[in-house]
Amino acid sequence: MSNCTVTSKRAATTNGGTMMKRCFQSGDLRRALLSLLILLCLASCAARTVNVQGSYPRPNIPAIPLVLGVYYGEGLSDFVYTELSDRGEEEYLVSSGDTHEVLFNTVLPAMFERVVVLDSMEEAAARGVDAVFVPRINEFQLGMPQKTRLDSYEVWVRYNMRLTGADGSYIADWVMTAYGKATASSFSTAERGINDAAVAALRDLASNFSLGFTGVPDVRDWLQRRLSQ
Amino acid sequence: MIIKAQHSMLSAWFKSMTSLGLLLLLQACTTTTIDEFRQGATGITSEDSVVILGRRQGAAYETRAQFVECVGERMARGANAINVIPEQQFVDAMFPWFEPRTAPLRSEDLQALMAQPMVTEIMSGFGVRYIVWLDGQTETTSRMGSISCAVGPGGGGCFGFGSWEDDSSFEARVWDVSSATAVGTISADATGQSYMPAVFVPIPLIARVEANACSSLADQLKQFVQGG
Repeated sequence: MSNCTVTSKRAATTNGGTMMKRCFQSGDLRRALLSLLILLCLASCAARTVNVQGSYPRPNIPAIPLVLGVYYGEGLSDFVYTELSDRGEEEYLVSSGDTHEVLFNTVLPAMFERVVVLDSMEEAAARGVDAVFVPRINEFQLGMPQKTRLDSYEVWVRYNMRLTGADGSYIADWVMTAYGKATASSFSTAERGINDAAVAALRDLASNFSLGFTGVPDVRDWLQRRLSQ
Repeated sequence: MIIKAQHSMLSAWFKSMTSLGLLLLLQACTTTTIDEFRQGATGITSEDSVVILGRRQGAAYETRAQFVECVGERMARGANAINVIPEQQFVDAMFPWFEPRTAPLRSEDLQALMAQPMVTEIMSGFGVRYIVWLDGQTETTSRMGSISCAVGPGGGGCFGFGSWEDDSSFEARVWDVSSATAVGTISADATGQSYMPAVFVPIPLIARVEANACSSLADQLKQFVQGG
């Protein structure tokens, strides 16, 4: 910057406006390049966001003849996992709320006669549902190849599943885990690997949830009572 | 005279390099062993299909989808081609019954699965006669040698020698869907040594171990399901 000031002064005394304009232009260019460099540096330092996206098949299982309300509340829709680097800086932000809703909106209609998505727990009774299902993510873990020394990305998720009556009374509360991995490829990005591993984990959740739902002891007891009425 | 001498030297160098290349090419071959164990009679009609699935329930390794695809493609072409259903299409259509944690591990589990009316309906829709479970992997061992590369103002180049061994070991278990029983097992073991000499330019002489395991296993499976 100081060099430019000196040059511009000299330019003003010798060739007048032409040189001054040239210096002004070179100064602009330098500033632009510096800004670009800073932006690139910031971009490379900033945490990268992965919005998990995937499609899930509809389960082929007999539907339970009941109306289920589902509430995607806090701890699912807004869930964002932060992967920290070895130096403790934010490296990846994994957002999976939307894809979880896509998953449950595919799986639940195959499991129940009718499914109602609720905006709040309070509207359950008015919507005439038999029960309300509230999924929630308890824990999310990410395995990166550079940290695990394996040739795959891994995602492990622990869920808390809650089933209540339309009036909010307890029916069942249980824990489920899901695991998925995706092979790391030389020609793919880390974001793609994380996404594929997360989709595999959600698919694992879908298969276990759809086949194991009626086997959860409290759910089984409630279904026996409800369906015999 | 000088030009003639240079030409003869170049020719000799070219001949020796060609001989070395051919020698290494011969060395970079693969040995494949196929074992077949038959438990029941087989046979397939033009209306029947086969689905080839990879085992992925283990924590240590999982059968690569590319290998499964390779075996399926090889069985579906040539003389006496067989209808092969793509793995992902079948697994999606059968969801959630053939996922890594829910897939039947024994033929007895298949009997229980076939009791589900929805499963039987989809199987019939595909015309599945045989399910082939592929389980295995390729491991690289005995890495030796080193190659150094350098770049300077006048150019660049590499010098050195590297070699490694690939071992493929795959097992194919065949289940007859119509009787829900295991009808046989075919195993394929392939081994090959690969070389990478580098004189200015690295020359990879790769033993196609997994590709050979795929083609040998596919040919044997094709014969097996046709009752041969």
